[in-house]
Amino acid sequence: MIETKHIDFYYGAFHALKDVSIRIEPHTVTAFIGPSGCGKSTFLRLFNRMNDLIDGVRLTGECIVDGVNIYNKSVQVDDLRKKVGMVFQKPNPFPKSIFENVAYGLRVNDVQNKAFITQRVEESLKSAALWEEVKDKLKKSAFELSGGQQQRLCIARALAVSPSILLMDEPASALDPISTSKIEELIHVLKQEYTIVIVTHNMQQAARVSDRTGFFMLGELVEYSDTKKMFLNPEKVETQNYITGRFG
Amino acid sequence: MNKRKKQRIAFAIFRLLSLVVVGILLWILGFIIYRGAGTISWEFLTSAPTDGMTGGGILPAIVGTLCLVAGSVLFAFPVGLMSGIYMNEYAGNGFVVKFIRVMTNNLGGIPSIVFGLFGMALFVNTFGFGDSIIAGSFTLGLLILPLIIRTTEEALKAIPQSFRSGSLALGASRFQTIVRVTLPMAFPNIVTGLILSIGRVSGETAPILFTVAAYFLPRLPHSIFDQVMALPYHLYVVATSGTDIEASRPIAYGTALTLIVIVLLMNLLAGLLRRYFGGKVKTD
Repeated sequence: MIETKHIDFYYGAFHALKDVSIRIEPHTVTAFIGPSGCGKSTFLRLFNRMNDLIDGVRLTGECIVDGVNIYNKSVQVDDLRKKVGMVFQKPNPFPKSIFENVAYGLRVNDVQNKAFITQRVEESLKSAALWEEVKDKLKKSAFELSGGQQQRLCIARALAVSPSILLMDEPASALDPISTSKIEELIHVLKQEYTIVIVTHNMQQAARVSDRTGFFMLGELVEYSDTKKMFLNPEKVETQNYITGRFG
Repeated sequence: MNKRKKQRIAFAIFRLLSLVVVGILLWILGFIIYRGAGTISWEFLTSAPTDGMTGGGILPAIVGTLCLVAGSVLFAFPVGLMSGIYMNEYAGNGFVVKFIRVMTNNLGGIPSIVFGLFGMALFVNTFGFGDSIIAGSFTLGLLILPLIIRTTEEALKAIPQSFRSGSLALGASRFQTIVRVTLPMAFPNIVTGLILSIGRVSGETAPILFTVAAYFLPRLPHSIFDQVMALPYHLYVVATSGTDIEASRPIAYGTALTLIVIVLLMNLLAGLLRRYFGGKVKTD
């Protein structure tokens, strides 16, 4: 479970997130939508502390994952990132073989048992619905795969370290429609085992894949509710304007 | 004049000038080969100079230059690589890094004769190495250090951030990310920097003048504390200050040709290395 309390976030002097509080239940898909620069990706990247990599950022408030404030000094960021996996906007496989891409997370976390690694690679590729397409060419470079396959490989790579939460930052925005629908189907299946948080530009996609939707604008969480309700009967006029295309 | 005509004339000039550059290069090479090829023989490459450097071969100078290349790279490559990694991957963009960067660039701008003088003061005298391979290697190493740091930094900078993010998001440490992802990807370009520095080291005369190079020492070195002859300095000696300059003229051209061939061979080797590593990490 993820919970934030009164998160404020700054890039230097820029106030990127304003008093955002949210609760995300396990085994659900939560989508964040909103216009470019509204803070939805920034908010997503708080959950695995990817924003730590940027200079000059500042955070106040609490971000609690499974009962622990992940910004406590006692939290080791690499342990957190094992638990909270991430898939990025552009497929970013490593210049390694398909097998080594999926095994990477295990190897850097000191897993050495070869049989276990082989087994996890197969399981993860199956979970990412990629196994059938690549099982005969695991030694081939990941760059030989199509964009959509590469993105599913990145999902498999994230799953291999057995996270409980999967963050997806516009995972289909660089893909063609067929690859996109494969990723969306995958999200439906994966939510039985994982808590999924997805940022998307595409409102139809949010409507198709998510249980809950949060609408961000200018760093504020304007509305957060069940996806159906959000798209059929939004409470706020800003939300209404955005999802009907009058703004954004 | 219409725009098509203008374009035709402009491109004609560009083409002509690039051909002139190639022409000059071929001319130099051709000239050296024409004058030097006759001198080159198995004996020339494998024996020591004789008869006041008007006869015999240049083996001690070849060996000396190879020792200096190996020594300086052995010293400068690890140091330069690690500094480059530190500056691009760890240090952020604070005052300290900017200072180091400016200083590194300044170091690169210092005339090589000054390095020679400094090397003599520090390595030869203060450290007491005397005129020796080790003193020369350190001096040449200092000379190419900025180049290696610079190319390492640039090579790492060219790796898209997304690869680092991808690795870190899987729980890898920054060090693991560098060793397993970033550095292998940057390696082909780092090797290019190394090639350039090897070319530089083999050809530099000034830094070795006071630190290692021997005027005439017709034997091979026994340890890193020995003096050696070196190809560029030997070339200078036989061309300008030998015992009989006219008689040693062919030896000068033979030495020049040998030097060029050694540098070309090293470039070739490094190119193969680059292709080998490049093949492993191709990014599409």
